[in-house]
Amino acid sequence: MYTILIKQFFRSKTVLLAFVILMVLGFLGIGTGKQFLNQKQEVIAKTKVEQEKHIKTQTNLHKDDLGLLLYYLKFSFINPVNSLAGISIGQSDLNSHIQNVTILNLEGQKYDTDLVNPMKLSVGNLDISFLIIFLFPLIIIALNFNILSQEEENGTWKLITIQGKSTFKFLLQKIALRVIFVAIILGLLFFLAKIILEIPFDRSFLQMIVMSYLYILFWFSVCFFIILFRKSSNTNAIVLLSTWLVLVVFLPVLVNNYITNTYPVDEAFTMTIKQRDEYHKKWDTDKRETLDKFYAHYPQFSHYELQEEGFSWLWYYAMQQMGDDESKQERDEMYLKIEKRESLSKKIAQFFPPLQVQLSMNAIANTSLTDQIAFLNATTKFHEDLRLQFYPKIFDKKSANSIDWTRYKPVFYKSKTTFNLFDNILYMSCIIILLIGFGVLKNLKHFT
Amino acid sequence: MKKEVVILIAKQFFKKTFHQKGLFILLFIFLAVLAYVTTNSWLAFDEHEHVVEHHQDESRKSWDNNPDKHPHRMAHFGSFVFRAQHPLSIFDSGIESYTGNAIFLEAHKQHTANFSEASLSTGLVRFGDLNITMLLQLILPLIIFFLGYAAITSEKENGTLKIIHIQGAKIKEILLGKSLGLFFVSAIFFLPAFIALWSIGFLENHNLENSVAIRSLLITLSYILFYMILCCVTVIISGKSQNSNKALLSLLGIWLLFFIIIPKMAQVVGNSVYPNLSKIAFKAAVEEEISKKGDSHNPDDPYFNSLRDSILKVYNVTNVKDLPINYSGFVMSKGEEQSAIIYNKQHNKLIDTYKKQNSITNGLVIFNPYLAIKNLSMSFSGTDFNTYVSFLSQTEDYRYKQSQYMNELQMKFISNKATSSEGKINVIDKSYWKTVPKFNYEYISISKTISTQLPAIIALVFWLLFMLLFITKYSNLFKII
Repeated sequence: MYTILIKQFFRSKTVLLAFVILMVLGFLGIGTGKQFLNQKQEVIAKTKVEQEKHIKTQTNLHKDDLGLLLYYLKFSFINPVNSLAGISIGQSDLNSHIQNVTILNLEGQKYDTDLVNPMKLSVGNLDISFLIIFLFPLIIIALNFNILSQEEENGTWKLITIQGKSTFKFLLQKIALRVIFVAIILGLLFFLAKIILEIPFDRSFLQMIVMSYLYILFWFSVCFFIILFRKSSNTNAIVLLSTWLVLVVFLPVLVNNYITNTYPVDEAFTMTIKQRDEYHKKWDTDKRETLDKFYAHYPQFSHYELQEEGFSWLWYYAMQQMGDDESKQERDEMYLKIEKRESLSKKIAQFFPPLQVQLSMNAIANTSLTDQIAFLNATTKFHEDLRLQFYPKIFDKKSANSIDWTRYKPVFYKSKTTFNLFDNILYMSCIIILLIGFGVLKNLKHFT
Repeated sequence: MKKEVVILIAKQFFKKTFHQKGLFILLFIFLAVLAYVTTNSWLAFDEHEHVVEHHQDESRKSWDNNPDKHPHRMAHFGSFVFRAQHPLSIFDSGIESYTGNAIFLEAHKQHTANFSEASLSTGLVRFGDLNITMLLQLILPLIIFFLGYAAITSEKENGTLKIIHIQGAKIKEILLGKSLGLFFVSAIFFLPAFIALWSIGFLENHNLENSVAIRSLLITLSYILFYMILCCVTVIISGKSQNSNKALLSLLGIWLLFFIIIPKMAQVVGNSVYPNLSKIAFKAAVEEEISKKGDSHNPDDPYFNSLRDSILKVYNVTNVKDLPINYSGFVMSKGEEQSAIIYNKQHNKLIDTYKKQNSITNGLVIFNPYLAIKNLSMSFSGTDFNTYVSFLSQTEDYRYKQSQYMNELQMKFISNKATSSEGKINVIDKSYWKTVPKFNYEYISISKTISTQLPAIIALVFWLLFMLLFITKYSNLFKII
């Protein structure tokens, strides 16, 4: 019986088509991921070279004035992209993964964007996560929508009923066959991705695989639930497609729109004006006042005396520092808003598997907004370290040659993943069990 | 061909569709969503406009309130431009979420436009934008397919097609009639969306004169063409299919391919064929060229030395200190001129690469009416790529003028003996700050948009003609049974 089922399954055109579509798009998806990773790697290599070159030219130009040299000198802080980002590019193509900062006012530099075609961003990436979230459900629907109704429409269901064997078991076998087929394709894609994208086989990769398989299972359970209403093939197709449309196309857009409008981040604008004003105002206000604030921030530098007349680097860097220090409130408000956006997204997403899977995949691959914010915060830390190293040297009026510039190579950021698999699959698993449970319970009397 | 027959069949299809109870539910849901989306986008637009205006004013106020200063300090104080949205972005937000909203403009340094909505959003933003166009471009076509997939096949399955044919209706009349009927049904869905569009046009018209009305008109016409094409496609597919089941599946396949996969693939391919410079490479390219041209900071630079000699000659003096103009202001204005030319050259190259990346999508409009309507709708709504590029070049233009104005003030009013911009000695009167004009953002003119979008317009017209031709001339390809 089972061999015949398998034969019948592989003879259908839909199966071949499904296989071809998924494999072609799968290759394209992995290719997209590979290209993305390669580009990032190239940029990282280039950054290393450029930093060395940059330091060399600038130190030659401004040998005797360290204050002036550090006005120009840029230091790179790199977020090395996780190879899993090749599977789920997420928000990492939107945000710069390399910070190139001087020790001046940081808030005016930190948010500079990368050079990316906005058209490309708006169309989005064709990565494996897109394939899994968007297209796998459609394939599952195409494979399942008529497995029961077609038998009924063709009159073969009656033949099965009279054979005396369990019809329910027969249906399960048919579905199981499809589950295995789709699972194998997904496994194949993950295998290819692992090899081509050079992903280490670790916890994060496993978590991603678990999430994906669970998501596939979710769509099978949706199909199972719908087909057990025993409607016609056309109705099933329309109902399942509408479900897909609502869950994968419409709802995420609606949720995102709701979040965006609930928490508009105007503070970004306010902050950016403030950081400029607070620095520039200091050119016209009392120097002593500026320095007092600076000493309050860095008591360790309070022994550097202010030169009241004319220009001095101590005063200049104190002014720059005030741009950052005095826009802190606005900045904190901005980050608070972003955090609120994040937590609301997560809260809503847990009830809707497509959203949940997208956010989880991004979180696992370190390509989410949270990761970008963490990188920005680490940039602040990196920048602060530089300041602490250079401030005393500038204030001591040391020469540029007194510093070993070869030590200043680009610094790499270490990302932390705080993904908790259990929390993220809890609701989805419940939904799957509920769907299957209801489907079975409702139909116990129909089957033998 | 008899017109009466076509209209009769159209009417019959229209009436029959309304016999399905499902249609009213669908219509109700669609209209409810449309109403929600419209009010929501409108409120968000008003909010954004308010935020932009508020911050623009704040930033300007802070510029105006600067005390007496050295002009070069003001050149670095700089100004912000917060990007205003076109009112029609309520209708079609295009690439708006992905374009920078705030740009800082100061002397000899070009900044990127930052804080795009998407950069401050979670991963959910990549699923797309909620706006009226999403309903019109993605959802409504699917509804049309659902309503029309059985247009011919159901008649075949019921055996009524033969009867209609025997009664004297030609196959092309049936196909045309059904298409027309389907178009009337879809009109019930899209007309309310156009009411929304036109009300935006009338109510948000404050400072754009009548251009919004013309844009709305063009958008309306394009969509009508688009839906006519879709209705014909639906009926043709239904006519060519053996049964309703297959017709539905083919149409769904078309939707998936034309509306989701091709657009995405076109952009992906475009980007991998024409990769653009990374920011670090871009900056390096600009810096290299600038250092070749001459470094205004280096007193021994040959370019600036020759510049000095020539200006000394013009004023017939031997030392820059004796010049009637402020020499460092002069050097900076020349440096600004140089660096702006070099930056713009590189920037234009970058934009050209972007355009090449988009060229695959833009080339496919001929084969894919969805891409055609998408491009048309975006560009007439002032939310497309070209509009953004024009915004960027307008800001750069403003930045350049602002910096040069400050350099002029420095040349004119600052003593040649000044060594620093610090303190209250080498300053000019604060009343000059107010004389700097405000940034005035202008949208691309409609005629220019039409000329760049001509292929898309031609594509829609061509597709409709082709469909009609196919129905009328090749009707023998359709089987009655």
